[in-house]
Amino acid sequence: MERRSLLKLMGATAAMAGVGLAPGRAAAADKVTIALIPGLTADGFYVTMHKGAEAAAKAVGAELLYQGAAEWNVSLQVPILDAIIAKKPAAILIAPNDKTQMIAPLKKAFDAGIAVVCVDTFIGSGVFQTGAGDADFPISYVASDNVLGGRIAARALAKAIGEKGKVYVSNVKPGVSTTDQREEGFKDEMKKYPNVTVLETQFNDDDANKAAAQVQAVIGRVPDLAGVFGANLFSAGGTANGVKQGGMVGKVKLAGFDAPESIVAQLKDGTFELTVAQHPAEIGYFGFMEAFAFVTGNPVPTAIGTGFSVMTKDNIDDPKVSKYLYKSS
Amino acid sequence: MTITTATPTGSLPHPVILWIAQLRAWVFLCLLIIFFEIWARAAEGSSFVFNLYNIQSIAVFATAPLLLALGQTFVIISSGIDLSLGFVMGLSSVIAAHASNYFMVRYGVPPFAAMLLAILSGTLVAFIPGLVNGLLIAHLQIPPFIGTLGMYGVARGAAYLFAGGMTVAIDNPWFSAIGNGRIYGVPVLVIITAVTCLVMHYLLSETRFGQHTYAFGASKVAARRAGIDIKRLTLKIYLLSALGAGLAGAMYTGRFTAGAAQAGEPLLLDSIAAVVIGGASLFGGSGTIWGTIAGALVIAVIQYGLVFINVEPFWQFIAVGAVIIVSVLVDQTQRNLTGGRQVE
Repeated sequence: MERRSLLKLMGATAAMAGVGLAPGRAAAADKVTIALIPGLTADGFYVTMHKGAEAAAKAVGAELLYQGAAEWNVSLQVPILDAIIAKKPAAILIAPNDKTQMIAPLKKAFDAGIAVVCVDTFIGSGVFQTGAGDADFPISYVASDNVLGGRIAARALAKAIGEKGKVYVSNVKPGVSTTDQREEGFKDEMKKYPNVTVLETQFNDDDANKAAAQVQAVIGRVPDLAGVFGANLFSAGGTANGVKQGGMVGKVKLAGFDAPESIVAQLKDGTFELTVAQHPAEIGYFGFMEAFAFVTGNPVPTAIGTGFSVMTKDNIDDPKVSKYLYKSS
Repeated sequence: MTITTATPTGSLPHPVILWIAQLRAWVFLCLLIIFFEIWARAAEGSSFVFNLYNIQSIAVFATAPLLLALGQTFVIISSGIDLSLGFVMGLSSVIAAHASNYFMVRYGVPPFAAMLLAILSGTLVAFIPGLVNGLLIAHLQIPPFIGTLGMYGVARGAAYLFAGGMTVAIDNPWFSAIGNGRIYGVPVLVIITAVTCLVMHYLLSETRFGQHTYAFGASKVAARRAGIDIKRLTLKIYLLSALGAGLAGAMYTGRFTAGAAQAGEPLLLDSIAAVVIGGASLFGGSGTIWGTIAGALVIAVIQYGLVFINVEPFWQFIAVGAVIIVSVLVDQTQRNLTGGRQVE
């Protein structure tokens, strides 16, 4: 709680700095143009982030460029980045597709005098402006802490299963920084519960059909399975279906990650016990504001952490919680 | 009924060898099941195959790739390939979800009728990419690999546009029951897929259309000289394949109570693997629906079984890859033994 309010304060300061100074240099020159390159376009998380950035752009009267690839792939993201660099925006917000492979391509933007802000994912160590290494040139990293997200899911799931029993993580594939971190946080936090056993992780290649079959197979072997943590949308959704097909709803508790609007019905009918929602709109909004503040000559923090909301059937109707559902409009 | 797809070399092999070779996908499936049964009994003390729960889980798992693979069987027999199926399925899934919501909310259609309309819309929308694929390949002589790869992109973009980059949730108990319900303990999805298999088998083995598909795949020139309207035939083949993907998309929406543009993306390669494991040749002219069914079950049994016997995740990748390679090697051996002879 303490941490989150501090983060909010940081964010708010950044936002106020941006808003307050909007008429200054920005008004004298042309409109400030800032680009946002998502990790991939076809994902509710980034669609929502785009909406947040749009709201920020509107608030300060700046222009937002939005271009991305349909897939999570460095070789698709680099040409898009190059095309954006050619348009010479004042700043680029980007969710880099790889920690190391994106360093050189982003350095080109930096060398062209474009400010770089990492959103959601990062390059190098994710700690910027320290003078260490070759990847510390981005001005800031704006994201939710995925290790913490995994921990939050672990705590909530442990509570739901009475702090005892067998659980496992249904994950996409090894090597994706954000989902790896969620798994890491989840497993680490579960060590605090001596009566909870974490079984082998199952990788589903983002295929809901496979995630469903996997949970059924695990139940076949481990009939007393108590819970599953689905580390992303399709892992969670597929697992939920497998539990339903196996007639185990209520016996196997599910913790999901991410919050498309379809999650509401699934929380209410008991398919999901809970889901951990990130705040992508917040990432887009504060990422944009931070870049704007920087290019208009203001000091900015080198990291902004955005929060999480745990959604359950008991709180999902509360507008304070439901406003964090991922929306395209 | 026997056709010769290649010149038999030397004397004809023993009929028993021929027969086993033709059923090789089923033999392979049995061996896999025996392997998992022994392992499960030894390591877990439980049965793998004499377990209704496992059987149902595997059957449901196999339905989605199988619905894609049925149409793909026709395409591959005709010596073509349809790479657009994954995203045609996604497009259909999204359209079916929208249709269900649209008819229920806008026109107050009762859920059952809205479900029928949604399945119909989802399946029929696949008609468009199927028709374009067929026209491109039949009339403009575009190679199937390139034509359907283009359609892969078009269908993908269209699906994401209609979905707004998100998943499209539905709220229709009947539609959900199609995807998750059971009749006398048999999942509805399995029944629908089984009926589709029978229809496809009939089309392939008992109709003129099916026979023409074999002839066309074995030799385009001969088929043409024999007076087959190959343009019309090609069009029909790609339409049929797209309609299968359309049905798969609608079923996905019912099962996961949401339409998703990426629904079929991971299934495309599984569907091709199922057809090849099932004994079809990528060079055309051979293949059966029964083989494809066995091929889809082989993939489902491996993936389910490895989790069931608790193989470490990274080893699962290796095992699945190895089985596909072994299966193709067996195919080569069979062709050497039988000279490519095969029963339809």
